[in-house]
Amino acid sequence: MAKKALASKSKEKDALTAQLAKAVQELAHQNEEKEKRVQELDTVNKELAYQIAEKEQKTIELKTANEELQSFSYSVSHDLRTPLRAISGFSQVLLEDYVHQLDEEAQYFFTEIIDNTRKMGELIDNLLDYSRISQQHIVRTKIDMEALVKTLIKEHKILYPKRDINVTVGKLAEMNGDGVMIKQVFSNLISNAFKYTSKREKSKIEVGSTIDNDEVTYFIRDNGAGFDPRYYDKLFGVFQRLHGDSEFEGTGVGLAIVDKIVKKHNGKVWAEGKPDEGACFYVSFPIVNSKNKKHGN
Amino acid sequence: MATEGLQILLVEDNKSDATLTIRALKKHKLVNNITHLKDGAEALDFIFAKGAYEGRNIDDKPKVIFLDLKMPKVDGLEVLRVLKTDERTKLIPIVMMTSSKEEKDIIESHKLGVNSYVVKPVGFENFSKVIAELGFYWLFLNNTPRI
Repeated sequence: MAKKALASKSKEKDALTAQLAKAVQELAHQNEEKEKRVQELDTVNKELAYQIAEKEQKTIELKTANEELQSFSYSVSHDLRTPLRAISGFSQVLLEDYVHQLDEEAQYFFTEIIDNTRKMGELIDNLLDYSRISQQHIVRTKIDMEALVKTLIKEHKILYPKRDINVTVGKLAEMNGDGVMIKQVFSNLISNAFKYTSKREKSKIEVGSTIDNDEVTYFIRDNGAGFDPRYYDKLFGVFQRLHGDSEFEGTGVGLAIVDKIVKKHNGKVWAEGKPDEGACFYVSFPIVNSKNKKHGN
Repeated sequence: MATEGLQILLVEDNKSDATLTIRALKKHKLVNNITHLKDGAEALDFIFAKGAYEGRNIDDKPKVIFLDLKMPKVDGLEVLRVLKTDERTKLIPIVMMTSSKEEKDIIESHKLGVNSYVVKPVGFENFSKVIAELGFYWLFLNNTPRI
């Protein structure tokens, strides 16, 4: 009887031993896997640390570049304007004080000098405005577009008291954006509309907006000189002009500024036009609401 | 206040700007008495009757100071700071005249208590007009406390 019990116990022991062996093997295997995972995690962590260091480095470089640009702009704005003012000023002085000793041609030459210094001053201002935009952060607020556009139109009408200018402003949708920058966009577009219709007996300008699910589009249409669509890709380039300076004044930065600001707001700007048949400029912006928050900068 | 006394103090290091400014003021017959100094250090010595200006009557204060921003030695902001913190001079109107349209300069000047900040226009016609308007405003239109 005892022999049978012993044999059975022995069998149990063997089974348990086998189980134990298996469990130990399993544990060893799990350990191995764990070691592998730890290695992988270690590698990934090292990679991450490297990426973070890279990013910090690039951020420092970017900051330095921005600071250099700032001080460059500062120099330009201050130091270039001063001699320009002297050239303009003394030409004017010569014109005034020596007018009796200057014949018509000489007076004309001085007027040219003064005119050109004024243009150069404008160029400097425009260049600076353009260069500063990329550094600015968008401060988003709700913008009452109707009020903004109506004010701009009033301001521009005052500049041309003798012209017959008919402006219609439709109902304009509100938008979300940086007030100062958006004002700049519409000021440039409206200014162009007024400028390029200046040769018409009756100028006609129309401003309106359309809105759909995810974007709001504004348009400014005029019956002015239009542009040649063959050169469309130059329209928004910096210092690119599609008209001669003798036809219409300008430095060729206005639309480039519009383009930059609109892009900063994740929007689009495009235009339609034909030579001598007017033009229509469109700007559209994605609608930013709490559900589909789009990050702009 | 004596009308023969000091009227405008112009602190400007750039010779051309100074010449054009003085010309504009004289042309519009705004003043007979313009004192022109070339840098901030000289300006402070003059106002406080020190150094080369030791004998000057310190109570003869300018009715308005046209102050340039960027000058060698002591710059405009420093002069502004000193004058606006000294009891004897803090009420003198100071017009900052400069080529700089930079926000940080505008902010800093206003923090220090500048009365007016004007950017010198490039075109001379405008420059002359601005100077004349400033002169007229600060000398005749604006009421400065008797100091």
